Order: sequence, then C-alpha cells, then structure tokens
Amino acid sequence: MRFSDNFKIALEALFAHPTRTLLSLLGVIIGVFAVTTLISLGEMATYGIQHSLEQLAGRSIYIQPQFKPGVEPVRFDADLLRVLRVLPVQPIPYVLSSATAADRRGRLVSLDLVGTVGNLPALDASVELARGRFFNRREAEQGLPVAVINAKAESTFFGEGRGLGRELILNVSDGARIRTVVVGVVRPAGGFFGGFESERVTVPYALLWERMPRKKGRFDIIELKVEPGADLKEVEKRTRRLLELRYGKDRVNVQSVQAFQQALTGITVGLQALLGGIGALSLLVGGIGIMNIMLVSVTERTREIGLRKALGATSAQVRAQFLMEAVLLTLSGGLIGVVLAAAVLYLVVLTVPFFEAFILSPLTVALALGVSAAVGLFFGVWPASQAASLDPIEALRYE
Amino acid sequence: MKPVVEMQEVKKVYRSGSRRRQVEVRALDGVSLLITEGEFVSIMGPSGSGKSTLLHVMGLLDRPTSGRYLLAGEDVTTLEDEDAARMRNRRIGFVFQAFFLMPRYSALRNVELPLVYRGLTEAERRRRASRALAEVGLADRMDHLPSELSGGQKQRVAIARALVQEPALLLADEPTGNLDSESGREILALFERLHEAGKTLVVVTHEREIAERGRRILHMRDGRLVNDEVLG
Ligand SMILES: Nc1ncnc2c1ncn2[C@@H]1O[C@H](COP(=O)(O)OP(=O)(O)OP(=O)(O)O)[C@@H](O)[C@H]1O
Ligand SMILES: [Mg+2]
Repeated sequence: MRFSDNFKIALEALFAHPTRTLLSLLGVIIGVFAVTTLISLGEMATYGIQHSLEQLAGRSIYIQPQFKPGVEPVRFDADLLRVLRVLPVQPIPYVLSSATAADRRGRLVSLDLVGTVGNLPALDASVELARGRFFNRREAEQGLPVAVINAKAESTFFGEGRGLGRELILNVSDGARIRTVVVGVVRPAGGFFGGFESERVTVPYALLWERMPRKKGRFDIIELKVEPGADLKEVEKRTRRLLELRYGKDRVNVQSVQAFQQALTGITVGLQALLGGIGALSLLVGGIGIMNIMLVSVTERTREIGLRKALGATSAQVRAQFLMEAVLLTLSGGLIGVVLAAAVLYLVVLTVPFFEAFILSPLTVALALGVSAAVGLFFGVWPASQAASLDPIEALRYE
Repeated sequence: MKPVVEMQEVKKVYRSGSRRRQVEVRALDGVSLLITEGEFVSIMGPSGSGKSTLLHVMGLLDRPTSGRYLLAGEDVTTLEDEDAARMRNRRIGFVFQAFFLMPRYSALRNVELPLVYRGLTEAERRRRASRALAEVGLADRMDHLPSELSGGQKQRVAIARALVQEPALLLADEPTGNLDSESGREILALFERLHEAGKTLVVVTHEREIAERGRRILHMRDGRLVNDEVLG
C-alpha cells in the first residue's frame, strides 16, 4: 500500500465527521495551545528582561569593595581609576549615598544621591538628557554645587518641566545641608526597570567628598564599561586578577550582567519546565480523548474494516491506516493549537508593553507538532490493533 | 484441466456456549471436492447446511479445523493471516449477497479498492477499474455513488471489483438474494458470459433455476456434500 493512499484514506475518514473530529481534538488543541503559549511567553519575558538589563547595564562589569564584619573594606580611590586604564574598559566611578529634600508641599522626601564624574552621557549611552546639560569634568573635579536630576525627582520636587535652574537643598547624614542648582534633567530609563525608578539626584563626586567626611577620597562602586570588540568574560577575568594583585584575595566583589543573566535564564527554564508539565498533562488527557474517539470509530467502521480485509488488506495495512488517522488527528489538533497560540501571543505583544518582541521559535513549533504526533501514535496503537485484529467474516456480519 | 480447488476431508467445527455446556456445530463435516479451471459450479442446500462456510474456507476468509485445501495447486491449509490476506487480494474475487460497497466511494473507487492494497499507482488502478466496469456494462456509471445505483447495478459494481483482481477463483454467496428477478437475470447473464470467457465460478444459491445456469450442482446437507450433479 502506498503512503499517499494511506494518507488520503485517513484524511477522508477525518472529514467524514468534521464536527466530531473537531470536538475530539479539543483536548489536544488546548494542550498544545497551553504548551506553546507558555514556552513562548517565557522566551518573550526572558528576552524582555535581558533586553532591559542590557540597556541598563550593557556590557559592564561592576566592582565594589567586599564587606566583611571586622575587616576594614578596601578603598577605591582616584589612583585605582588610573590603574584600571590598563584594561580595555571605560571606568565610571560612583559615590552612593542618600539624602532628603523638601517636596513641593514642604514634606521631606528621601532620594538616591549619586556622585560621579563629569560629562556622563558621553561615557554611558543609557544616560540621556531630557533638558539642560550634564555637569562637565572640571565641575566634577572641583566639586561645584550643581545637580542633574531624573524626571521622577523633578516632578516630586518642582513639578514636571519646572526644575531647570532651581535650587535643590539636600539634607545629607550628619545634619549637613548641600545647596545645589539643577542644571539638567535626564530621561527615565526605558525597558522593564524604567517603571520602578525612584527620585535620583546626581552631583559631582568631589562635592560629596568635600561635604561628607565619611565619603572623602573613596568611591563606592565603579562601573567598567567594556570596550566594543573586547571579550566580556576575558576582561572580567583580568579585572579579578588585577584587583587581587592590588588588594589581596576576596577583597573586591566583581559582578557582570552576564552572571545575572545566567541566573535569570535558570529561573525561566525552571518556570517553563513547570508550565510545560501542566501542558503535558492536558496533552495526556487529550490523548485519552483521542483514543476514545478512535475506539468508537473502529466499532462504527467494523464492516468497512471487514470488507477491506476480505478484499486483501493485511492486518498491518489496517493498523497503519488507523495509526495514520490518529496521528493526522492529533497533528491537526497541534496545528490548530499552534495557530491559536500565535494569535494570542501576537495580541499580547500588541497590548502589553513589557513584551516587546513576538517570539515563536521554530523549535517550539517543531516541539509542539512533534509531541502532538507522538500523542496520536501512542494513543492510536490500541484502537489500531483492535481494528487490525478483527476477523473479516465476523466484521462483515456486524450490524 | 488444471485443478483450482482441491479439498480433502475438510471440517469446520464451531464451539460456542459456556464452558460447562459447550455446543459443537459441525458446519463442515468432511468435504472432499475438486473444481478445475473454467468450471461453473453451483452450491445448493437447505439453510444452515454449510454453504457459506464452505465458500469462506474456499475464499481463505476462514480456516478449516482439519483436512487439506490446495488452491491452484498451492497448499493453503495453514496459511499465516498476512499471507492469507495477500492470497485473497491476488487469487480470490468475492461477491456478497449484501454487495458491501463503500457508501462514500464512487463506483470507480469501489472497484479500485482491492488494487490499493497491491500498491498500484492511482493511474494504473483507474485504468484497470474502468475496464472492469466496462466489462459489467457500467462504463457510464463510474462516478456514481452506490446510493445512486439500482440493486442490480450495485451488484455489478461488486462483480467488477472482484474481476479487477483477475482472480483464479470467483466466489459468490447468494449474489441475487437481494435483487428482484429482472436484476437477478442480468447478474446471471453476466456470470454466463464470464464462464464463457473461461473464468472459474462458484455460486451459492437457493434457486434451482439459477443453479441450472451452471454446469454442475453440489448439493449440501448437514455439512456434507450429498450429491454432485453434472448437468448435460
Ligand atoms: N461463527 C459461527 N459460530 C457458530 N456457529 C456458526 C458460525 N458460523 C456458522 N455457524 C453455523 O454453521 C452452520 C452452517 O452455517 P452456514 O452459514 O455455512 O449455512 P448456510 O448453508 O450458508 O445457510 P444459509 O442458506 O441460511 O445462508 C449453521 O448451523 C450455523 O449456525
Ligand atoms: Mg449462507
């Protein structure tokens, strides 16, 4: 018997009862739909978060003094910045602190206070000015009282679009007050983390060194922007070695976004496995439904089977026919499920801003269809062998 | 003349009922018989005498409980199921009382059906099936569904389906049983033509008039051949 004939006969059998075929497919459709949608949503979420992370941190390595009880943390000073020049990186040092300032109604609101070098937008593409300017290198080194604030801080302290040129008084620890003038406003960061921004004020690092004695002469964290073309992993290794040489073992915490991404991938893979498991369960239920409908079909078509055998169909040929039917049945269910999933994913991308890209990988589609076919093959075996084992005379006599 | 059917002491025993009160039915109780190429044989006998059972054994649809059966010189007594299926497909043409056509298939596709299991291409099947339909006078009904055909036409489609196999043996179990007398005569005329063309035919029937179309009548009673009547 030719494959094309087997295929044609199976297809005809399915179209003989279209409504029943569709109903018997519901389980498989739902199962494949669930698996496909969940896997793709997982991929889309991973992509979204990684994309945001990369926008935020890009190809960067972060170094921080390691804090251990009873051990004096190492000191990141201006000299370290010069040493780091041997690496293919652009170091951006930060002094991190917090402060409070009075909002428009006079209430004190806490904010993140950051000291850094001048002309930051030239060093870090993710920093974009909305209005005004960033303080320059000379202002940063001399510690002039100028501030660049983010959009959130502007709306809290001055009202939207009304911050430029205004005075911002920062209450820092030790009761000190720093009077600054707002010279620039930066755009909110895009992506996933953009929505969680809090009030942030950026000032020259030397201003904080001068006005906060505890911070004098040290940076809290240094971001190393790896130059294009350099290998992130390699640079990270060299950074560790250099810092170990300078400060000793385990004195500096070195982190890159890569490690974070790996952890994130681990989480999403775990999540996908869980969701995939739920989908597999519904496929199992769907498979049992298919088996049931196939058994009904074998009973209904007893006489047809008897006739085919009387005319010379072998048991193997009858079995192949019913297996083909089962596989075509589940495969078309799988196809419908994938199409439905694609439609829903597309709607999600259109309506939910977090999901930026439509991802339905060929691997996911292949997996969904492969699993559907396998379900048909597995749950078709029993009905098919029932059909194959029928005795032709008894089958022909069946009413 | 070459022997087509050679049976020696063929028995078929059905056991049914519960284990304690088993009932044995000797549907065939020692049938020995020789049919040679080109013969037109009728089988007659009262209901339950074993006519259909004999035809099923002859057509490899059923296996004898004991005895020996040679089909066209080949011992087919203990054939594996798959080999029996292949023999049915190539050596036997069966015509049933109730036609047994696929209701959703056109006449042409019904006639093609046995050839599907030989793995022939669709073009080749079409060619042979339309020739067989022309042979039974239905060249103009190829695309009709069984529901669009009269009883006699349905049975002629079934005969074409048997002929397309080019069988060594054409078997018919009460082929006119479901037909009015006019259609019945058509079928009988067709059988006579096939006989004249040299086919080997075995036809089970209740009616003497029909049986007399053949050249030989086997009479059965209680699973035995009681009379082998050769007509002049
Ligand atoms: N599958 C079976 N199981 C048990 N007994 C059977 C079976 N098939 C046939 N028989 C019995 O075998 C005997 C012969 O049956 P068969 O069908 O060959 O008779 P027949 O001569 O064709 O009768 P009819 O003219 O009514 O068609 C009958 O007594 C019948 O009851
Ligand atoms: Mg009978």
